[in-house]
Amino acid sequence: MRCYKCGATLVSGNDKCPSCGTNVKIYKRIMALSNRYYNEGLEKASVRNMTGSIESLRQSLKFNKNNIDARNLLGLVYYETGEVVAALSEWVISKNLRAEDNIADGYMDMIKNDPSTLDTFNQTIKKYNISLNYCHQDSQDLAIIQLKKVLSMNPGFIRAHLLLSLLYLNNGNYAKARVEAQKALNLDTGSVMARRYIHEAESMLNPNEIAKSEPKPEKKQQPKNGDVIRYQSGNEMIIQPVRSGVIGGSFSVWAIVVGIILGIAASCFLILPARIQSINSSNQKKIVAISEESDAKSAQINEYTEEVESLQAQVEELEGQLNQAEGTDSQTAAMNSLMTAVAAYLNDASDTESVATALEQIDIQLIQDGAISSEFTTLYNSLMTLVGASLATQYYDTGYEAYKSEDYETAITNLARAYSYDNTNVNALYYLGNAYYDSGDTDTAMQIFDQVITEFPDTQSAEGAEVKLAEINNASN
Amino acid sequence: MINFEEELKKFHPSLEIEDAEEIIYNQDLDDIGDVVVKLLKDAKVESGKADR
Repeated sequence: MRCYKCGATLVSGNDKCPSCGTNVKIYKRIMALSNRYYNEGLEKASVRNMTGSIESLRQSLKFNKNNIDARNLLGLVYYETGEVVAALSEWVISKNLRAEDNIADGYMDMIKNDPSTLDTFNQTIKKYNISLNYCHQDSQDLAIIQLKKVLSMNPGFIRAHLLLSLLYLNNGNYAKARVEAQKALNLDTGSVMARRYIHEAESMLNPNEIAKSEPKPEKKQQPKNGDVIRYQSGNEMIIQPVRSGVIGGSFSVWAIVVGIILGIAASCFLILPARIQSINSSNQKKIVAISEESDAKSAQINEYTEEVESLQAQVEELEGQLNQAEGTDSQTAAMNSLMTAVAAYLNDASDTESVATALEQIDIQLIQDGAISSEFTTLYNSLMTLVGASLATQYYDTGYEAYKSEDYETAITNLARAYSYDNTNVNALYYLGNAYYDSGDTDTAMQIFDQVITEFPDTQSAEGAEVKLAEINNASN
Repeated sequence: MINFEEELKKFHPSLEIEDAEEIIYNQDLDDIGDVVVKLLKDAKVESGKADR
């Protein structure tokens, strides 16, 4: 205890302050009274006499506003009766009077850390005030509904129980009024108002009704089939699911294993097929798109193919035209050459060289193929009758000389012409074969030798040709 | 017999959270110790006037 004047610590048994000498006898008495009321308040609170406790603690604070314990306890009692704001007010003042080592910190932290609860309390207070307004406006039914909501949110709100009890009394519902008043009395054993309401309700009820309205003790019933627990709380039947140990024992392990297996099976039979179907559907769409694209390209390819064929036909047609034109040109050239040869012969019959030069320009193949007019062939044959023998002799001599001198190219040219002008000259053909053979063109040589054997059998040249063919065959084997 | 109207007057609106600040500031915190000290001061002043 400290001196109210100088703040020095007072000594017990001495009525004067050891520091300033002030007489503190009355002051000590006042502090003692404050403590006495605090003790009373504490005792009453311990037996849930909230009304009495509040009165005592207020008295204590009237004697000593700095009695922190009394103020904190008053806040706690207010909180218990549902008066949260009054409780907070006491704890805030307490905290301001003693900043350090104050249990009010813990109470306030508890409320701060649970804002949802604080919000619920505030809602109940607002609804209670609304109910009170309804009562003043004579809307008692609405007030009862609101108060029921309030009590479902905060069953410890004593004033709400009392107001509800009063409303039931006024409505003539004495049994319910008694129940509510009894609940209020259970929460606050010192509530004179609750006792009065109970007395009033009981005076209006007969003994049987009193017995029926007696709140039954909260007795938990054993679950019959293990799924719910039913028990009576006041006049409410509470049905609560049983909290059975789901995980425990070998059964639980098997249950988990079976659950996992069922889960996998469900995914295989339900989820997986759907997934596969989805992928298949997606792939099917892609295949359709690719098929369409492929069809379009195939159609395009067909179109191009037809175009190519058409162009090929055009090319062939043009080539035919070109060949025809070339053929015409070669016929014209052959005719010109023949006329030149005829002119040279008519000019000087002995000038075989000029005739030969002109005839060399004629393509013999045209005559053999019959690709030229019959008049041309007739004129050619007539000229050949006149100069063919002498030309053949001249070419044979030149060719033979060249063969002898191993000038095979000249020999082949002249001997071939000699045979073309005189196809009875077996020697010209035989040496032509030899010229090809010696020049290394064995394939042509074999053809020539075959021709010699076929066209001139039983001749020396044919025998020689057979020998040469045998040599070629031996050499190739 | 309870008179409903009279009984209803005993019920007052509960304090809401929004009112907390005002309640705290307006609370009369004087205790008997303060009153006694003030009385003693006044008594001293009165006795001083009487001596003059």
